[in-house]
Amino acid sequence: MKNRRTADPAPGKGASGRKIRRDHTRQKLAVFGILLAALLLAAAFSTYLCPYDPYAQDLSVSSQAPGAAHLLGTDQFGRDMLSRVIAGSRTSIYSAVAVVAAVTVTGTAVGLFCGYMGGWIDTVLMRISDIFLAFPGLVFALAVAGVLGGGIWSAVIALAAIGWPKYARIARSETLAQKEQTYLMAAKLSGCSAGKLIYRHILPNIAGQILVTAVLDVGTMMMEIAGLSFLGLGAKPPMAEWGSMMSDGRSMLQTTPWVILAPGAAIFISVAIFNLFGDTLRDYLDPKRVRDQGYEGE
Amino acid sequence: MKKILTVLLAALLFVLAFASCGGGSGEETRNEESGEKVFVYGTTGYGVEMGDEGLNPHHNYSGWSAVRYGVGETLFKFSDSMEPEPWLATGYEFVDDVTVKITLREDVDFTSGRHMDAEAVKECLEHLIQVHDRAPGDLKIASIEADGYVLTIITTEPTPALIHYLCDPYGAIIDMEYGVTEDDNVAGTGPYMAESVSDTEITLVKNEHYWNGTPKVDRVIVRSITDGDTLTMALQSGEIDATYGLPYASYPLFENENYQISSCATSRVFFAQMNFDSPVLQDEKVREAIAMGINKEDFVAVLLDGHGEAAAGAFPDNFSFGNETVNAPAYDPEGARALLAEAGWTDTDGDGYADRDGEPLTIRWLTYPGRQELPLLAQSAQATLGEIGIRVEINSTASHHQYLESGEFDIYASALVTAPTGDPEYFFTTCCLDASAKNAGNYHSDRLEELAKTLHTSFDAGERASLATQMQQQILDDNAYIFASHLQMSIVSRSSVKGLAAHPCDYYEITVDLDVE
Repeated sequence: MKNRRTADPAPGKGASGRKIRRDHTRQKLAVFGILLAALLLAAAFSTYLCPYDPYAQDLSVSSQAPGAAHLLGTDQFGRDMLSRVIAGSRTSIYSAVAVVAAVTVTGTAVGLFCGYMGGWIDTVLMRISDIFLAFPGLVFALAVAGVLGGGIWSAVIALAAIGWPKYARIARSETLAQKEQTYLMAAKLSGCSAGKLIYRHILPNIAGQILVTAVLDVGTMMMEIAGLSFLGLGAKPPMAEWGSMMSDGRSMLQTTPWVILAPGAAIFISVAIFNLFGDTLRDYLDPKRVRDQGYEGE
Repeated sequence: MKKILTVLLAALLFVLAFASCGGGSGEETRNEESGEKVFVYGTTGYGVEMGDEGLNPHHNYSGWSAVRYGVGETLFKFSDSMEPEPWLATGYEFVDDVTVKITLREDVDFTSGRHMDAEAVKECLEHLIQVHDRAPGDLKIASIEADGYVLTIITTEPTPALIHYLCDPYGAIIDMEYGVTEDDNVAGTGPYMAESVSDTEITLVKNEHYWNGTPKVDRVIVRSITDGDTLTMALQSGEIDATYGLPYASYPLFENENYQISSCATSRVFFAQMNFDSPVLQDEKVREAIAMGINKEDFVAVLLDGHGEAAAGAFPDNFSFGNETVNAPAYDPEGARALLAEAGWTDTDGDGYADRDGEPLTIRWLTYPGRQELPLLAQSAQATLGEIGIRVEINSTASHHQYLESGEFDIYASALVTAPTGDPEYFFTTCCLDASAKNAGNYHSDRLEELAKTLHTSFDAGERASLATQMQQQILDDNAYIFASHLQMSIVSRSSVKGLAAHPCDYYEITVDLDVE
């Protein structure tokens, strides 16, 4: 142990230490990537995976504890919890992905445009994004969802409305940095159009960081959608959605805990997968690491 | 090595965090510190959403709070069988159809110090009919005369239910010279007087000069806790001593010797009103199919865990014009489907829901979450109606009044005490007539209007009961209302609490008998 600590800064052994780290990153990325793919596939084919109809009420088996017939028990209305959790994955995960996709595309487009064009349009759009950034996220989303009325789509729109400025900010600052690079000057001199410059040269260079931010955001968005649903502003009954399922079951936490623990665990697991994958992806795409890798290759 | 240490430290932190959470109940310390008997009451029944914030009986339903928490008392009160009996009065006599003579107790003082006589009661009632929304229409008072301890009320027309109406909490007698303070406090005659009043909490102290015994508890705190789980946990932790409105799902936690549950059937009904302005519901057959598509028995037995009874009409069994006297459509999914088919609604596109001319059969079900049973009813109806081919969209929102006003609903499910005064007339005048304030669906029936007129002037109890039965049958035959269940009102308290019991009228809670051992 003592040996390793003193050995670490030594230039000769540094390379092998880094090599070990890189291999881990790759393995981790693969593991979390597979888990993530499994999660997304499960959500996509949730209809076929459910052992029971997640919406069929059968009051004769109301509030049954987990057992052979119902692996995660049943809720108050006698609906199979496992089926509802599986069916809910589609709503919860895909609405979160939808929010992130929407904010990433709009935010990045705005950021690229502002960063490249500059001028008064940049100032105006950035001040607008400042205004949005100044609001506490969930509170603003609550207000928007409240005005739009309930429904999962109102929740998605509400969260998208508050989410885009973050991406605009990142994309803009990255674009500004890229603008100063010599390769861009060269491209410009060789007669590239503005569109092509942005699309072919700047975007690929800033995509990594935006992708990482987006993947990490999916988890957050899932929590926020679940939060809005929990407060009654997201999914409407009887739609299976993890947040609203927890809300429905919260009065039974002490008597029939499985109705709240099952969706709670589902949220925990999927948010963890998205976050771990995002973290690993960030490590993997880290420019510093890529540079080190290059150094090792020599 | 370092890793193990980290894990150990983390585990230690975890244990410490939980240990600090599990501290003893705060209840014992609360009583010992101040040296006085304190009773804390958590309720879902108090607050702005319920329309009974403050203690001013002349405002909306706030009289309920005044009577419930032992501040105000009415001239007459209901016995357990909902018969009026003297309270601040000693008796009454109808001199003729429009004149009633009420004699008052002579030993009653307001908490402001003023002595209660006929003049004080007159001032109070005159102010009531001047400012209150429901009282003038109920009482129909033309004039009041005060003479010592005799109060003579002259009505504009025969008002047989006058004594019943005087039992309504809005008839709580308060000192008008003291008036209503800015925070909605009043000077009543009850065993307790309020020290401070807000929309979420009332602090009461005992009335040392109470006319009917000595209150045993020094200080009562009434706390509005609208969230059922918070209420459950507050009772478990000892933060409160008794609850009103505990969710049924929590009952199993309190069915042991440390707690007691006092239950009582009330006339609070969970019912649905059909919107007659909605195009799809104008078809009688669709309305009937909906009425036949709701499974009341299972709703009560499973979702309410048996804490209630399935309803047919507006009034529970203990009334002479109750459930048993009327016929409501029974749960019959086959029959309902047949009716829909007759009306032209069949499933042609195979999506499981009926449609006609390419339009799916969709019903907007408006309700609110303040009463926990309502969202359950909505989801239960959504499933059973879905089976017969009606798609139900639930809108369960605290701002349901907004949707009522804009007419954006097909069915409005709510809870209402149908006979707060033990008399049937209130329900019809409130909900079913052209002039009713809460006729949400704009229902109209010529026959009902006529029967209501007869009921209004009938003095004979038997005739009133028979009319009430006919009127209920009329609205059921028109499929304008669906009565799902009657609430069983329960007060759950720690076993050390004595003298706190549920009453069928739902508004006698804290009385002079209350004690904490």
